[in-house]
Amino acid sequence: MSAVAVTGIGVVSALGHGVEAFWDGLVGGRSGLGPVARCAGRAGQVPPLDLRAVARSPLSRRIDRASLLALAACRLALADAGGLPAGTDAARTGLSLGSALGNLGETAIFLDRLFARGTGNPFVFPNLVMNAPLSYASIELGVTGPTAFLVEQESSGEAALAWGAEQVARGAVDVCLAGATDELEAVLCEVLRDAGALARGEPRPLDPEADGPCPGEGAAVLLLEPMARARARGARVYARLEPHPGFGVPAPAHGWARDPEPVAEGLAPLLADADVVFAAASGRPELDGLEGAALARALGGRGVPVTAVRGALGDFGAAGALAAAAAALAVATGTVPPTLGLVPPARGGLDVVVGAARPADIRVAVVNGLARGGLCRPLRLEATA
Amino acid sequence: MPAVAITGLGAVTALGGDVPALAAGLAEGRCGIGPLTLFAHAGRSTLAAQVPEPAAGIARALPRATARRLSRADRFALAAAGEACRSAGLTPELQRAAALYVGATTGGMRESEEVYRRRRAAEERRFRLSRLLGTPLATHAAVVSQALGLFGPRATFSTACSSSALAIGAAAAAVRDGRARIALALGTDQLCRLTYAGFDALQALDVEPCRPFDRERRGLSLGEGAAALVLEDAAHARARGARIRALVLGDATTTDAHHVTAPHPDGAGALRALVAALAAAGVPPEAVDYANAHGSGTRQNDAVEVAVLRAVFGRRLARLPVSSTKSQVGHCLGAAGAVEAVATVIALEQGLLPPTMNLRTPEWPDLDFVSSAGRRAPLAVAVTSSYGFGGHNVTLVLGRAESGR
Repeated sequence: MSAVAVTGIGVVSALGHGVEAFWDGLVGGRSGLGPVARCAGRAGQVPPLDLRAVARSPLSRRIDRASLLALAACRLALADAGGLPAGTDAARTGLSLGSALGNLGETAIFLDRLFARGTGNPFVFPNLVMNAPLSYASIELGVTGPTAFLVEQESSGEAALAWGAEQVARGAVDVCLAGATDELEAVLCEVLRDAGALARGEPRPLDPEADGPCPGEGAAVLLLEPMARARARGARVYARLEPHPGFGVPAPAHGWARDPEPVAEGLAPLLADADVVFAAASGRPELDGLEGAALARALGGRGVPVTAVRGALGDFGAAGALAAAAAALAVATGTVPPTLGLVPPARGGLDVVVGAARPADIRVAVVNGLARGGLCRPLRLEATA
Repeated sequence: MPAVAITGLGAVTALGGDVPALAAGLAEGRCGIGPLTLFAHAGRSTLAAQVPEPAAGIARALPRATARRLSRADRFALAAAGEACRSAGLTPELQRAAALYVGATTGGMRESEEVYRRRRAAEERRFRLSRLLGTPLATHAAVVSQALGLFGPRATFSTACSSSALAIGAAAAAVRDGRARIALALGTDQLCRLTYAGFDALQALDVEPCRPFDRERRGLSLGEGAAALVLEDAAHARARGARIRALVLGDATTTDAHHVTAPHPDGAGALRALVAALAAAGVPPEAVDYANAHGSGTRQNDAVEVAVLRAVFGRRLARLPVSSTKSQVGHCLGAAGAVEAVATVIALEQGLLPPTMNLRTPEWPDLDFVSSAGRRAPLAVAVTSSYGFGGHNVTLVLGRAESGR
């Protein structure tokens, strides 16, 4: 198994497009959340994209929003890395994308017509397969190697990054784009609002007083390649990404694990030398309670800084990919961005960074992917210098 | 690197609720495609390969609140996964550490469609989140994990019709790389209004039961169901005295990068997947005894697939039995790859070639499409391919368990 280098980062987020806008926003403690009319409330919405600059092929004329966000993140990651390494073979190039819910917007449009007229819309249907973002991105970028689409609720981003890193590590590909996408969608907001599952004000990740998350959207993609190849071509390396296969814990199949102990047990070896943890916390009490207790146990009183990007970006399945992008940047710059919304003390007595970003000597960052149904998908990033 | 053994099988298909029923249906040449009765549909097509509802006790390991929220596809998954684990003789301890890789495409869509319809028709005053928690595709894996106590690595793949073939590839990789000694690969999908109306609107459904490779073929027949395979480090299987049913010799996945629904006209990606899978298995084309085709019955797929087989097997293709299991169980979408892998293992184990039903006038008369049921032949190596929307191709190379293993 070879070491995996992160050589490019592409992000489309409520804080803006590209690494600079994303990282400046996070480090500056800016919130990407604001009033969004189609969600009838606060949400984290990605600023408009230049559709034709992102989706260039005539085959992409009907591209959906989740696919567009993913493709934009792919293009930004490639641009950030100065393009694919010279001489890259398309058949040795991989692509791994994830999403929790896919194209909900057009699913609702398709169903509305089906219920009204009894017929399906043949022009919309191809966009409704879960892997549509993978199809569009592989066509636009000419990727013909191994590809996958992973669907893992709140940890869809971590899952797709793990699959991509695994392909690189075992030599199945020479380079791989990996990340995730999820769109902010009116029907989803309606469902969550009907259920009273959203924050009344700002979301407050890891705050014991938090009353819910705030919906969001975004995509992040990392360019991954074998460390030796990256070094040989003198590429900038943000961090080393270690694929982790994840693990399960007892939990209600549709909800959050209640016992933090098995989560802590699985995380402990990964956290032993962690210098920062990017938490999954969103302000959802069941998730934050589980994560706060599990991290407190796994860290065993070690004062490791913790931060949670969902406070600034909102909650969506792909957010873990944006957390991984932030973790790679934290490792590269020695900076921990603050968590928005939290008023200390945090759950579990954790040392959650609030207010200003905190400079730190970061060798190891852990992204703590957690999803309902008892799924743990941690990622570990290491400094390479 | 450890050899990857298949030590357990499970299946829920239109041919019956378990593997013996599937095996009998394959041997007898039964076609499970019949009238669609699960929901009303006003389009051209009226057929589907429906699966009878699994027995009520299928969810007894789960709390009542969880059991109430299960989708049909969850129940199919539970039945197939349970049968696979039982047939592999797995203890709770072995299951605890086992990995779980699932392929699916629509999750709890059928149930969610109804919730959405009722809300839009003002039959409900608000959405109830508890009724929509089964929608996401990752739910199948969570349900199986919690019911069977599988707490190892876990992932859910969705690459349209190749989803569960990709899951089998991931399970084989986990065993080969030593990340798990046992990995359960599972595919599950249920018929729903969305996919049925979508394929019908694309005019991709045959108005008769699908006729793969026939000159008159007009499209596919949608099916549903689930299938599961227990993959295991062969040395581990031998050490615990488990029966090795077959071997996963190799697998490969490629991408067309051509079109969101249509396959590449030359089958370039499908060809690379077949060639790479054989190379990974260390098997020359002349050693392949049987090809379980994707064989969806659409004009394009079957033509491309025959061209791919011809490119790899050349003149030997005339003597290579080829069949499409979709002619018996329909196109099970996310479950298709796993259903067809189980059918291929049955073929290897029993030396039985599954037929291609409804094939009256082959478009390629020089090929051996196994048009009659019950044909026997000793088989050592078989390939099975799955091709998905978006140009996603997976080929698996499976081998008979050698005697004495």
